[in-house]
Amino acid sequence: MKDTLTSYLFLLPFLLIFLVFLAFPVFYAFYLSMHEVRDLADVFGGMEWVGLKNYLKLMHDARFWWSFLITLYYAALSIPLGILVSFTLAVILNQPLKFRNAYRSAIFLPYILDVFVVGIVWTFLYSYPYGVITRLLMKIGIKIPGLLSTPGTALPSVVVAMVLKNCGFGMVLFLASLQNIPRSLYEACEVDGGGVWEKVRFVTIPLLKPLFLFMVIIGIIGAFSAFAEFYAMTGGGPAVIIGNKTFLSTEVTGLYLYRNFEQLKLGYAASISYTLLFINLAFSYLASLSMRRRFV
Amino acid sequence: MKKGILYILLTVFTFIVLFPFLWMLSTSFKPNPEALSLRFFPKHPTLENFKRIIRDYSFGRYFINSLIVATSAAFFATLFASLASYVFAKKEFPGKRVLFSLFLSSMMVPGLMFMIPQFAIVYRFGWINTYRAMVVPHLANVFGLFLLTQYMKTLPDSLIEAARIDGASEFQIFLKIILPLSAPVIATVFLLTFQFHWNNFLWQLIVTTSEKMYTVPVGLAMFRSAHEELYSLKMAASTLSIVPIAIIFLFTQRYFIEGLTRGAIKG
Repeated sequence: MKDTLTSYLFLLPFLLIFLVFLAFPVFYAFYLSMHEVRDLADVFGGMEWVGLKNYLKLMHDARFWWSFLITLYYAALSIPLGILVSFTLAVILNQPLKFRNAYRSAIFLPYILDVFVVGIVWTFLYSYPYGVITRLLMKIGIKIPGLLSTPGTALPSVVVAMVLKNCGFGMVLFLASLQNIPRSLYEACEVDGGGVWEKVRFVTIPLLKPLFLFMVIIGIIGAFSAFAEFYAMTGGGPAVIIGNKTFLSTEVTGLYLYRNFEQLKLGYAASISYTLLFINLAFSYLASLSMRRRFV
Repeated sequence: MKKGILYILLTVFTFIVLFPFLWMLSTSFKPNPEALSLRFFPKHPTLENFKRIIRDYSFGRYFINSLIVATSAAFFATLFASLASYVFAKKEFPGKRVLFSLFLSSMMVPGLMFMIPQFAIVYRFGWINTYRAMVVPHLANVFGLFLLTQYMKTLPDSLIEAARIDGASEFQIFLKIILPLSAPVIATVFLLTFQFHWNNFLWQLIVTTSEKMYTVPVGLAMFRSAHEELYSLKMAASTLSIVPIAIIFLFTQRYFIEGLTRGAIKG
């Protein structure tokens, strides 16, 4: 009994913060999503119960569904590219090379930096017409418009910046797993006449399957939480006109949620955040199903 | 021969990855009229940009705010997580397994989901524009708890038993035995939390409205919207945010890399 009490005393600070700031918010977000702010002077006091209205509105909100598609597009570009780059780097760095650790640290470094600040730096490099990337591309004869201000290139440009920033993390994960693969498996592959490609294709990739799955899942969660990179680099723009409607070509769901929050549409923003939670869970589940099917 | 190609590939790629930051550094030492030149090394290198962002735009204050927030958050988050980890690793008590899985399951929830309710709580507590608002909501570091618990489980029970026979209290055991033995993981959790808070831009943006409380990235966001064309100053302010954490990383990278990979692979 005394022991239990001592244990809970040790737990208390963590538990208290957890309950107030992590557990309670999950329920409170749901409560908020059923409300609408009526009194802008007292946002959390002046709320009115509206039931499922926010969710019904969300179902018909073209801007939300657009942001959903943009987020999927962002995920579809950045996840495969990120995996490809970090996996390739890991396979190369898994060779007995000199300065391996120096390369590894240098490539990993940008991962720990602030997304927003890194975004500001990239915006400067991409800026039109004087940014260094814009001018270097023009010098080698590639005629480009403003990379971040043209609908077709804005999102891919953010993808390039973020893949280069984050590939070090994937690389380190792949490296750790590569080092756990027993040599004997590669030797067996060699005996069967396999070259470098066969080793990667028939030994490495199947064994790293769980890690690929993990990267896809954190990639999806990352895409649906993406905010600061777009806030820093595009602000959601540039606008595109489809039919008679105007959309923002890089407004991902995280940014749309923030815009609602900014305008103090707190109930509506909360309903978006709840929808995001379910989307995340659904995609994680789907990813785990599809990976199981393809390989086994 | 084949290795030669790999070295070239790696070197080029590393250069590309670091290029934005090298360019940021060089621009931060260029006078503003020179900021858009294609020359890497400044023709007239100057410290004027740093002087100006500190003297004219209070980035010195923002820097200190960032430092206070990140250090205090890292300290308390690591302390709370270590205390909790000790009992999860070494004690039996009712509700232990339920609590631990409850903690872990919160890692599945996307961070944006917490933002609005956390803001509501902080707002109701009247904490807007305080360090508390920036620090307290993130003091339950589940990832750190997980790393520390895994590690503390591997510490031998015999040491704890011996200390108990010598009459040490639970808190003394924690302080004198568990903490020193867990030093490498504690360093990892401390550094990762520090880094998280140094970079916690969105949260710091929404809980500060007073210029005095801005952190470096928030200050940079405000500066950018007011002075789009002051490139050298923007890059100097970015340098102020990036260089400290990069230096910390260079000296402690083992902890960063191990902590992040271990957590990811096991979690």
